[in-house]
Amino acid sequence: MTTNKNNSVPKKDDNYTHNINRNNERSLDRRGFMKTLAGAAGVFAVASLPWGALAAKELMGLADKEYPHQKITNVNDIAVGDSVEFHFPSEHDSAVLIRLEESKYVAYQNACTHLRCPVYWVKEQKEMVCPCHHGVFDVNTGAPTAGPPRRALPEIVVHVEDGAIFAVRVKRYEA
Amino acid sequence: MKRSYFGVIILCITLSMNIVFTQLLVHQYYHENYINVLIYMTCNIILFPVAIFVYKKEKNKGGANYEKK
Ligand code: FES
Repeated sequence: MTTNKNNSVPKKDDNYTHNINRNNERSLDRRGFMKTLAGAAGVFAVASLPWGALAAKELMGLADKEYPHQKITNVNDIAVGDSVEFHFPSEHDSAVLIRLEESKYVAYQNACTHLRCPVYWVKEQKEMVCPCHHGVFDVNTGAPTAGPPRRALPEIVVHVEDGAIFAVRVKRYEA
Repeated sequence: MKRSYFGVIILCITLSMNIVFTQLLVHQYYHENYINVLIYMTCNIILFPVAIFVYKKEKNKGGANYEKK
């Protein structure tokens, strides 16, 4: 910008917006919107990478994982119709063991398949209930029977030996 | 003034496909169908360059007297 000898902007050039062209505001809006959409597609692409990586890891590693058998509890410590919580296969996977009959035990990883709230065994209802959004699971199969969950709870194979109950492995979903 | 909605619509479609694939991907992961997870991941990743391409192609369309640079 030119200045006169008083070092101030002459009147006729006193125009701070001479280089701002507002004619294309609308087309910029549309473009900005498209930019957002393309960016969101990028976020989705990046966000699916970890899942793919985990899947590839599973595929290369192990078909059916064997964990060391883990003692859950003693047979004497759990009455028929009661449940105990335990962790299997790792410390971070909470699970629940339910004694349905004298010699019938079932165990599930009890992170709800909806949003991973812990699922509880409700003795009176003979159902497993998720308190978060009232998901209900069938105790014999782990299949969801009501509420938002769509997937069955992963079942844990248990094994009774010398008056103690052991967790053997996590059953794979069939199909 | 002439508007061009083509790019916007295509991008909206890619984005909704992204959402659908992501949903399927997560479900397939928990169903332990890991091959399907990889397929959906590839779909999601391919959609990104597609979106960029559409954006590049469409960004200057529409608008009244747009000054070409
Ligand atoms: S987290 Fe269990 S029903 Fe939503």
